[in-house]
Amino acid sequence: MATRLAKKTVVIVGGGLTAALVARELTGKGTDVLVLERGHDRRNGPESTLPNQRDELRWDVHAGLGQDWAVETYTVRHGTKDEALPARRLGAFLPGMGLGGAASHWNGFTWRWSEYDPELRTRFEGRYGKQAIPADLLIQDWGVTYAEMEPYHHLFEKLYGISGKAGNIKGALQPGGNPFEAPRRDEYPQPPLEPTEAGLIFKAACEKLGHKPFIAPSGNSSGAYTNPDGMRLAPCQYCGHCEKFICEAQAKATPETLLYPVLMGRPNFEIRLRCHVLGIDYDGQAKRATGVRYVDRVTGEEYEQPADVVVLCAFTMTNTRLLLMAGIGEPYDPATGAGVVGRNFCYQTNSAANVFVKDRWINPFLASGSTGVTIDEFNNDNFDHAGLGFLGGAGISANLTNGRPIGNRRVPPGTPQWGTQWKQANADWYAHSFSLQAQGTSYPHRENYLSLDPTWRDAYGQPLLRLTFDWRDNDVKMSAYCSQKINEIANAMDATVVAPATARKSPFDTRIYQSTHTTGGTPMGVDPHTSVVSRHLQHWDAENLFVVGASVFPHNAGYNPTGVLAALALRLGDDLTGYVERPRRL
Amino acid sequence: MVDRDDAGRLRKHASARPQGDAPARRDVLKRIAAVAGTAPLAPALIATATQAAAQPAAPAPAAPPLDSGYQSLGPDEAAFVEALVNVMCPADHLTPNGVDCGLAVFIDRQLAGGFGQGERLYMQGPWRKGKPQLGYQLPLTPEEFFKAGIAAANAACKAHYAKPFFALAPGDADAFLKEIATGKVSDPRVSLGLWFSELVYPLFTQACFADPIYGGNRDKIFWRMVGYPGLPATHRNDMVEFRGKPFPGAKHPKSIADFS
Repeated sequence: MATRLAKKTVVIVGGGLTAALVARELTGKGTDVLVLERGHDRRNGPESTLPNQRDELRWDVHAGLGQDWAVETYTVRHGTKDEALPARRLGAFLPGMGLGGAASHWNGFTWRWSEYDPELRTRFEGRYGKQAIPADLLIQDWGVTYAEMEPYHHLFEKLYGISGKAGNIKGALQPGGNPFEAPRRDEYPQPPLEPTEAGLIFKAACEKLGHKPFIAPSGNSSGAYTNPDGMRLAPCQYCGHCEKFICEAQAKATPETLLYPVLMGRPNFEIRLRCHVLGIDYDGQAKRATGVRYVDRVTGEEYEQPADVVVLCAFTMTNTRLLLMAGIGEPYDPATGAGVVGRNFCYQTNSAANVFVKDRWINPFLASGSTGVTIDEFNNDNFDHAGLGFLGGAGISANLTNGRPIGNRRVPPGTPQWGTQWKQANADWYAHSFSLQAQGTSYPHRENYLSLDPTWRDAYGQPLLRLTFDWRDNDVKMSAYCSQKINEIANAMDATVVAPATARKSPFDTRIYQSTHTTGGTPMGVDPHTSVVSRHLQHWDAENLFVVGASVFPHNAGYNPTGVLAALALRLGDDLTGYVERPRRL
Repeated sequence: MVDRDDAGRLRKHASARPQGDAPARRDVLKRIAAVAGTAPLAPALIATATQAAAQPAAPAPAAPPLDSGYQSLGPDEAAFVEALVNVMCPADHLTPNGVDCGLAVFIDRQLAGGFGQGERLYMQGPWRKGKPQLGYQLPLTPEEFFKAGIAAANAACKAHYAKPFFALAPGDADAFLKEIATGKVSDPRVSLGLWFSELVYPLFTQACFADPIYGGNRDKIFWRMVGYPGLPATHRNDMVEFRGKPFPGAKHPKSIADFS
């Protein structure tokens, strides 16, 4: 039997980035908040200190910071007619585990998306006509505008000390910045990071072709920085151990570096670590969440935690799974299009070329997680899609993030897989090669969705989440187009060898790391028939239940998700402050 | 003490072996024999062992080297793995052979440790087969799968060449591995192509390039080969000073042990 605990005002599921931002706003205005996090505080462990922080095998190859697949994984199938199987050691993406969540082992890319992204259906129909969006693409407006989110982007970038070069300040284009950037009120809090040699080669080639390259905005700190809460970032050491690692130098903006220390000093904030949430308690008659149930992994005991307000701040997949397990909202059915929970599941459609330049020293180990030079000419709807047969696009970058030698060596096509020639090729090209990447849109397709698996269960005896996902026609065509653009740039580099990019193609491969940017499942919107939460992230079927994270994105852009989900979380924090004072449908 | 000294010397002797010499299994069996004092030994080895026994015991090292001996692999399995890593990493102008680079020890330690025992691997049934893109679907730990593959590869090898893999001449061994890697060697039970591409090959590249703390990449030989400087990687000034230039630290890499 679960022990019933004293009621809290707000309980948050998951101790990652969105939880910290929501809690910052709420506790700052006097509301008490409890966060339940399944993992632990890793700030003084081997993952956060030299020398063991620099262990590629442990943290990268074996994904030592990520969700333990032995405890909980996902089942995957490519279409509704297929049988799903559990991904027994999922390679494709890496949900977090521990204080800070996936935002601990992120790379640092911090974007505001295109100004039109939250109104994407309106944009496409306005530009290309009512018939422009194929019937099987569930592209929809978010119910929020960029202008409404701008103050929260601004605050988040200040809290995180983002390094970058503005491209658009209040509508005035800025030289050296991204000309496609949504308008900002001012410059980035810190100047951009140093570019890599690969970035400079990419920049020159792009300029030759008439594109406008810029240094990507980054959560890796270009200098020493103190944020508005008095928390500090040290200058980035360009150590090449960002993604899949915790920064030992406090130079990467993360929740546990900048946000949780402040919260832990507030008397109205509490976090319980190693507490795994089993479910949301839901009163279907009253249409209210009454609290959550969790297992304290240290005592082994189960608890019932009542709360006035429940906020889901877990990873994308978990937010959806908790709603499905609790039976809150109607599950999405791809056969009829009815139901909402699990719909609009999207990913990130990427491709890459390898470039080998014999007489240039690339030194891939001199890098930070987001030391990228990028162009946005072919991203999202920044170019005319009339007659192209697809929608969307990709940011194209030379993002050289590291030279870790197990996973980040490149050899020219045709090199044998082993032997003296293989070794020689590694010796010849390790320091003289890099890759160009397209990080592409993923638009919601009626057959890509999340549901509960009927067969397999996690270590707690609960059903695994099932992904039904594949690269559909629009993704494949977009990827082919953007891969061609990558190759044009690669061929303008005077490279010794180019291994060209090829389009992402079906079937989706769970074994290969592609991106941790899974989105959707609990989309936001203005219509309860096509969204799970409202424009204020309030659940349509439970007034006191809120959801935030990339799970509320109705589509995924050719950008990393952090900037947008953080802005939405800060906005939710403000909304919740008002809600706690006067509970109502927002 | 003597056994330890002998083991150490015999290992060094194996290091000095010319390229393409005796099959790996002989080395394994010799080492076992030297310790057990039973099986016939080559004259040179007997001399070494006798000499060692006759001399007063030298001051003993505090402990045997941590990177010798096997935890997971039996003699035949060790012979297979030693032959495998010596084919995939022959002694040449770039590195010593795979065994002397620690690659077999790395693989053994991985199989004996968390990875080999199924750590972070979802191992609940039911068990069904599916598309390769959905990943590994066998109720075998990686260690068990690795060993099932060795047995299947050896059986196929005997069918082709009338001898086990360790006994093949280097050219034949290389050709046989290529056949396995390209999925051309079939076994009624083990998918040898997937076994190689998803288990054996990743372990091989990890053995070469992981931090030497795991037993492979001995003396940071592969890091030096490619010019990876390793730790501490505090490159704030290097980032600008050595952008586009050879990085001096690449010739003298440092590993976790250097900072422990």
